[in-house]
Amino acid sequence: MKLAYFSGCKIPFYMKDYDLSFKVVMQQLGVELVELPFNCCGYPARNENFEIPILSSIKNLAIAQQQGLDMITPCKCCFGQFKHAQFWYKTNPELKAKVDDLLASENLTWEGQTQVKHLLSFLTHDIGLERIQKQISKKLPPKKVVVQYGCHALRPFSITGFDNPFAPKIFEQLLSLTGVQVVDWSKSTECCGNPILNDNLDLSLKILQNKFNTAKKAGAEYICTACTHCQMQYEMVKSDNTINDQNLTTLLFTQILGAALGVPLQKLSESGQLPINLFQEN
Amino acid sequence: MFKLFFYTSCIIFIFGLALQLYRFRKEDRFLNPAKKSRSGLSGVSLFLNTLFQVKLFKAGKIRWMIHFLLLVSFLYLLIVHGFYSVTANLLFADYQPTLNPFQALRNATGFLVLAGCLTLFIRRQLSLRMNKDKQIRRKGLGTVILILAVIASGFLLEASKIISEPIFMEMVEEYSDLDGEEDLDDLKLYWKDNYSVFFQKQIETSPEQIENGEALNEAYCLYCHSPIKSAAVSKPLARIITTAGSWLNSNRLDKSLYWLHYGLCLIVLICLPFSRLSHLLLIPFTSSRKYLTVEDHKNDLVSINAITLHACTNCGFCSQVCSVYPNFQVHQNPDILPHAKIESIKALLKNPSSIDLLQLNVGNDACTLCHKCTDICPSGIDLQSLWTVLDKKLAQMGMVDNSRLISEMPLSGWMSKNFNIYPKKQPNWLPTEPISTDHLTSNLADRIESFEKCIQCTVCSNVCPIVDYDSNNIDMSPHQIMNLLRLGKKHLATGTRMVWSCLTCYACQENCPQEIQVTDILLELRNEGSVKADIIQKNRLTEKADQ
Repeated sequence: MKLAYFSGCKIPFYMKDYDLSFKVVMQQLGVELVELPFNCCGYPARNENFEIPILSSIKNLAIAQQQGLDMITPCKCCFGQFKHAQFWYKTNPELKAKVDDLLASENLTWEGQTQVKHLLSFLTHDIGLERIQKQISKKLPPKKVVVQYGCHALRPFSITGFDNPFAPKIFEQLLSLTGVQVVDWSKSTECCGNPILNDNLDLSLKILQNKFNTAKKAGAEYICTACTHCQMQYEMVKSDNTINDQNLTTLLFTQILGAALGVPLQKLSESGQLPINLFQEN
Repeated sequence: MFKLFFYTSCIIFIFGLALQLYRFRKEDRFLNPAKKSRSGLSGVSLFLNTLFQVKLFKAGKIRWMIHFLLLVSFLYLLIVHGFYSVTANLLFADYQPTLNPFQALRNATGFLVLAGCLTLFIRRQLSLRMNKDKQIRRKGLGTVILILAVIASGFLLEASKIISEPIFMEMVEEYSDLDGEEDLDDLKLYWKDNYSVFFQKQIETSPEQIENGEALNEAYCLYCHSPIKSAAVSKPLARIITTAGSWLNSNRLDKSLYWLHYGLCLIVLICLPFSRLSHLLLIPFTSSRKYLTVEDHKNDLVSINAITLHACTNCGFCSQVCSVYPNFQVHQNPDILPHAKIESIKALLKNPSSIDLLQLNVGNDACTLCHKCTDICPSGIDLQSLWTVLDKKLAQMGMVDNSRLISEMPLSGWMSKNFNIYPKKQPNWLPTEPISTDHLTSNLADRIESFEKCIQCTVCSNVCPIVDYDSNNIDMSPHQIMNLLRLGKKHLATGTRMVWSCLTCYACQENCPQEIQVTDILLELRNEGSVKADIIQKNRLTEKADQ
């Protein structure tokens, strides 16, 4: 299987771990990734303007279509943005005409076939739980983990079609395959606070602090994310010492899955520093 | 005379260099915060990028080839031809400018520099689709024109020397011991036919004379003169100007052209610290610096050496890969694109009142810090750090983000703002009216059908994390915003903290029993408020400038 890999803006510089671990997991599962000259998905521009994010997304889809490829992204904000853009592009003819004009100025067109997949929905629906189960070579100890779902993939369901927005389960299902014990968490589907990190730092960190507190209460030892922005938000603890992380470590889903697929830990992180306890019986 | 000019130019050059370094230092202090981490040095990068331009090679193979040929040719001309009096004896035992390979190489390298500069000139004018700003199109062209003039005058000089009878006579006197007029005529004849010299007087031809001329040439000239056809550019040029040969020779135009050629070279030297040619010195320096790491960025310890900014050659690779190029396509704000933004920053460093600060701030805010421009920059400038430093600097200069501006402004202030006292000369990226008709919107907040079904059940507000976490600061909750719209108070709604604190998590929209697109409406209101906030900032800046 061959897919265009949409990394988004933050992964190549700020989240190299996600890039590494995502690629190695895809390699393990026999998925070939193609990197194309994509631009931003458009999500950050949604605050200022309605047209820019739509143009940005559709342009990326057109670039993927040129190669005849569907697209996969490990970021939920990018994923949600692509769905959002497709919705408005198809609903608003005036907008479509304007976007098509701008695409034509760069010899691009989009005919609407390109499918966008998020890492989690791709693994669940395209690869299949059974196949992943078979490939798990190193079952992890049953440490308690909570999952952070990520808003922009989950809602609005009518546009993203990701999973049941009130009681989603695909993240838990996938994570359980690795052997860890996924525990219920009341804040699992609530926002991480990252979208207002720049504009309203205090409030953003207040939301984050509550995340750590409630996760601890739920009995978790680890938090697992599958979104660039969620992970960046949780990693704020590394540069902001006002936050109490309640001794919880946040990991990327691809790092946990990668370890269960038998990938050596140093191939899942640039620094090679992963919380070893998660992967060993103690 | 010759040496006097040369040393004077050298002194001016050194003085200019010192002046520039002083300026860069001042800029450096202006730009950088007190708390910072400096980039480390990398000798490997300095070596590879200076000698082989590896960064340019990664960015574009064809442009690398053109640039490499241009640079190698330029350096050859500078070292072997320009400084032959110093280098010739060191490098070659028997250097003569009229012997091959030097004659052929001089013509070939001159041609390559000429062709390379012309390519650059034409490319700048035609192909860069984002070079809408005429000022950027002109950047560095003075240098290109100067180099073109140097090369053109050099070729003309060589051609004029080829056809010169006076020079021929001088050489005969110095290097031969011809005794009779007849021998001289024979040699002239040979040189007229084989070396394209223009002689005033017609000479009769006979086969013996040609034979004798060839013998004399072999005896006196050949050891210093390779066949003239190896001067691949100058020889055809000589054929063209030979039509005016008698006038050129009698006026000794070769002498004037010599001083012109030499003078132009000195002007290049004098201008070097101030022109784009300074990239010859600045790129090696810039390449030797490592990029700041992601840790430096995450820990907010970012600085940029101001000297490195000036290594920019406006090649435009950064803007070609820019992640937010679509933002520029829609917004038309040139300061979104890195290659234009860096010019605005240089202008800002020279004179802060000369640029549109709001345009620069809005442009810089579009950046997603994806590091692509930094990765591709052939000069090795740490652009990502520059954008980060700029963001801080602009904040320090009083520029505020729209969300901050609005959250600090009481709603009564927002309501009493006049959005019409507009600066007369507006930049074209700012919409002409506060309620923008220039750009499309999701068109929900103005259409009654999109919110009239609201029954004020408050589910949206009950699921909203902002209402939950920020109840002390929030002025309205989502269901109240919907009510404001029903009351026709859209303008008021665009200035509420609720609209500007929204996380866009879509919890309200997903839970609304009436299927109202609550989040999309909030976003649309924020978009409109953003345009208004830009106008407020623009008016503030105009007022400040008027005072």
